[in-house]
Amino acid sequence: MNLHPLLRAALTTLILSGAGQAYGKPVLTVYTHPSFAAEWGPGPAIREAFEDRCGCEVQFTILDSGGAILQRLRLEGPGSNADLVLGLDTSTMETARETGLLAEHQAALPELALPVAWQDPVFVPYDWGYFAFVYDTEQIDNPPTSLEALVNAPDELKIIIQDPRTSTPGLGLLLWMKHVFGDQADERWQQLQGKVLTTTQSWSDGYFSLFMNGEAPMILSYSTSPAYHMAVDKTDRYQAIPFEEGHYLQVEVAAVVESSDQKALARSFLEFMLTPDFQRHIPLKNVMYPAIDLGDELPEVFDRLIEPTRALMFSPETLRANRQAWTNEWLDAMTR
Amino acid sequence: MLEIDDLLFRYPGQAPDTPGWHFNVGIREGECVALTGPSGCGKSTLLNLVAGFLAPAGGDMRWQGQNLGPLPPWQRPVTTVFQEQNLFDHLTVAENVGLGLHPGLRLSKTQWSRIEAALETVNLGGLHNQRAGNLSGGQRQRVAVVRALLRPQPVLLLDEPMTGLDDENRTILQDLLLQARDQGKTLALVSHDIRDRQALADREVSDFFQPW
Amino acid sequence: MTALTRPAPPFSRRRWQLAPGLVFTSLVLVLMGGGLLALILRADSGPSELWQSPYLQGVIRFTAWQASLSVIGSLLIAIPIARALVRQPDLPGRAGLLRLMEMSLVMPTIVAVSGLVAVYGRRGWLAEVTEWAGGSLPWNLYGISGILLAHIFFNAPLAARVMVQTLERVPVSQRRAASQLGLGSWQLWRVLDWPALRPVMPGLAALVFSLCFTSFAIVVTLGGGPGATTIEVAIYQALRFEFDFNRAALLAFVQLLICGGLWWLVFRKNRHQAVLPDQSSSTDTGSLRADSAGWRRTTDRALIGLFALFLALPVLAIALRGVPWLARELTNPRLALWDATFRSLAIALPAGLLAVAITLALLAATSALKPGLPRSLASVSGYLPLIVPPIVLGTGLFLLIQPRLGIQGYGLTVVALINSLMALPFTLQVLRGPFQAMGTPALRVADQLDIRGWYRWRWLQWPRLKRPLALALGYGITLSLGDFGVIALFGSPAQPTLPMLLHQQLGSYQVAAATGTACWLLIFIAALFTLLSRPGRVASRSAMRDTGVTHTGVPHA
Repeated sequence: MNLHPLLRAALTTLILSGAGQAYGKPVLTVYTHPSFAAEWGPGPAIREAFEDRCGCEVQFTILDSGGAILQRLRLEGPGSNADLVLGLDTSTMETARETGLLAEHQAALPELALPVAWQDPVFVPYDWGYFAFVYDTEQIDNPPTSLEALVNAPDELKIIIQDPRTSTPGLGLLLWMKHVFGDQADERWQQLQGKVLTTTQSWSDGYFSLFMNGEAPMILSYSTSPAYHMAVDKTDRYQAIPFEEGHYLQVEVAAVVESSDQKALARSFLEFMLTPDFQRHIPLKNVMYPAIDLGDELPEVFDRLIEPTRALMFSPETLRANRQAWTNEWLDAMTR
Repeated sequence: MLEIDDLLFRYPGQAPDTPGWHFNVGIREGECVALTGPSGCGKSTLLNLVAGFLAPAGGDMRWQGQNLGPLPPWQRPVTTVFQEQNLFDHLTVAENVGLGLHPGLRLSKTQWSRIEAALETVNLGGLHNQRAGNLSGGQRQRVAVVRALLRPQPVLLLDEPMTGLDDENRTILQDLLLQARDQGKTLALVSHDIRDRQALADREVSDFFQPW
Repeated sequence: MTALTRPAPPFSRRRWQLAPGLVFTSLVLVLMGGGLLALILRADSGPSELWQSPYLQGVIRFTAWQASLSVIGSLLIAIPIARALVRQPDLPGRAGLLRLMEMSLVMPTIVAVSGLVAVYGRRGWLAEVTEWAGGSLPWNLYGISGILLAHIFFNAPLAARVMVQTLERVPVSQRRAASQLGLGSWQLWRVLDWPALRPVMPGLAALVFSLCFTSFAIVVTLGGGPGATTIEVAIYQALRFEFDFNRAALLAFVQLLICGGLWWLVFRKNRHQAVLPDQSSSTDTGSLRADSAGWRRTTDRALIGLFALFLALPVLAIALRGVPWLARELTNPRLALWDATFRSLAIALPAGLLAVAITLALLAATSALKPGLPRSLASVSGYLPLIVPPIVLGTGLFLLIQPRLGIQGYGLTVVALINSLMALPFTLQVLRGPFQAMGTPALRVADQLDIRGWYRWRWLQWPRLKRPLALALGYGITLSLGDFGVIALFGSPAQPTLPMLLHQQLGSYQVAAATGTACWLLIFIAALFTLLSRPGRVASRSAMRDTGVTHTGVPHA
């Protein structure tokens, strides 16, 4: 057929816009959380990089948190708008998998730079980090160097933690304690209780309103938190403490949504996710470790972070089976 | 003729063992009748029934043979002047009067002039732009009566209109009301002050009610 | 009767008064009931463990306990403050303080909490002062004391403001009589103040109780631990982390039962008087009081000064930390803050207007209805949003209507709608009194003169409602402006509103920017609120203009 180029362009536009998409490009809708998609997060740069190579449009729908992403997915069911979810983590993974709303990634993952082996048919990791206590060097000199020491520290030492029922690091500490102390966890929680200044609903409430106000010298956070303060705020004041027992690991993941009509596009995003073009934005903009080896591109401050001797993690199945019981155990211990 | 025949009334929520009212009275056109009786005998209640503010339990009210019962207050041929609170304080004097001519104040120039002129006759000429709330009690009652007289409604129900006023205001109002009667308005007056009744009333009626 | 054949005033049929209000009543009931029902229908677990779980019982007990304490604390502080303010009408800065007290209600929680911590926390200003003086802070901000402090910070000013207004409305004649008798402070309280305050107390207590009962962020941040969990927190947890719709719906139902029962009591006793300040002009009252001079003058001023500090210090702390960043970035036209501000306004303005419109419709219907179920529903429906947890409402609505956020604006429309409903309890409080202020005599005159429908609104209601309407609009807009819960629930396309921007900054180490945003949010809300609630001047000037217009037709006017 010998169509005039203009006519052909018009026809293409017409056909594509019939699919309800702006600019005639396919649209990839990603459900994610604010720390990824905010203006200063890695999201905007990554969107641009991916749009350049896919000839598509990436739309972020920003939900409150990883939990909110999962909830939205469940509420929408098979009618979901999402093509991809990005921002679930190892503690919500199993619940998400059980919904049956997510599809396999079908990709051959490149070599990952995670502290644990990763083989999962559905979830692809994009960054990771350790939970750790961050302390204010201007307030204390010799913080406890193990969970054991923290639990046994005098009650004058105040720490801020987060609620495992509403916050990811909060749940992280719960699992950390369980991993280290096993059946004695509830006694250890009771021992810890006197040192807990307050249990905040979210990490940001505690970090911003309390810790940065100097209300307590220690807060439950990430081992990577000091990287931001060192690289962006140019201060060494806040440092993570390496704990002898090892640190609980968090891996953040993404997955394709089963009901998506852009599965191919979503899968190509997952592959893109494990390339340097995506990963180089992770360290300073998401303040987490990249999921692949970035070599020299890893910011220098990351060399100055603590390096835990052991990465602790429960299998997702164990977690799913016990989470409720462990949370109740914690509740009992802390309200007794 | 304003005819009240066996009009029965009881306040809602009134204890069943206390008596209600049973009214009978007739007022001819162009006549001023004073209703008298001890306090609580139902004088104001009767005026409120005629105005349609209260609903009777039975009986008839007729004006020129037309049954008033089914009419809402705004369709009855009456204008009430209460002892106080006849005016809307946030509106001006002229607006308060104007509302009597058209409820949405859609008035022609001629009508505004009429209001002006009428206010002049009660010595309120300069006050038409004043807020009603700034007026004295006597001035307010004069405005209320001016409004009542400018309205086409033929019956005036006067419920203690001059109570608490000084002699000067009292005289002005009495003259105004007498003029209105002479022009054919029908007046029903409730006043505990014998001077008002003597000045205005063609006759006094005290047997207009009985317990029910 | 020839003269009486004039056409009826526009919109004077009863259905015009009833229909909008009944439509909105049904809307509120359907949205609230539907939200709850949608949750229950989606519940897939068996009968809830609610009645057996000691944890949930503890949550319910704690929620009621802290709310009761907060009510007692707020009212006990509000009473002496209100009396002192009434006694000292010439105090410099009094008007500013009253404005600040009105605003406490619309201050976003997260901003206020950060200010409170900066002043009253372990390393706060007060701690520094006491340490410098060689002592230590006599309290621990984390635990019930912190919850109480924050709840009093939010509610005592509101309560005191309402009381000031109530006391100033005591008829002058009564005050003069009391002053001639030379009554002392205690006698004045018994004879004058308490009888005036008593009618507003049940409504005030119910309002403060509901606000504290449904408190979320304050309780979780300052509560100290999981022992301090309110029903609202438990609902959030159930919905967000356990997907236990059943439990969420049941807890919401318990909340509805307790708070709703309280409001029902208040309404049933017919004790309900409007309990939000409507900024009616006050007359000089203090000088009439025998207890306003002498040493009392000093103690009153000290008391008011302390209270003003209590309110102003946290605000000052927020400002001090935020202003440097704002000053540095203010000139940056590409700042995310500006976009967020406009976006917030785009939601908050319609939400505020809608809230006011719904309020007027509800009030019109309530006054047109005879006592009975429809009237009860119409008057109660406006208070439901106070006690139905937003997250339950939001989730339920989500299930019902599934807002498609991909479609530009649809999600935001839903957010604006919900925000307007959330503002209803407050706009209703502001407008109820002035709307129903026409007494029986005025109503009778209006009826007789046929000033009904549109005419009644235009000439009798509107002139008197202008100022309360502006204030109600102020509450509606600023409440929506500070809202984070609803919008977070529905999510957003990449662009955040102001509170969302704040939360995003908090969530990603942007502490300096966050303090700037918090400060800006506060300034913006304060400015809007002040603009809309400016007493007197605007209203009276436009009133004069109105009368001028009316009289263009009058010769030699």
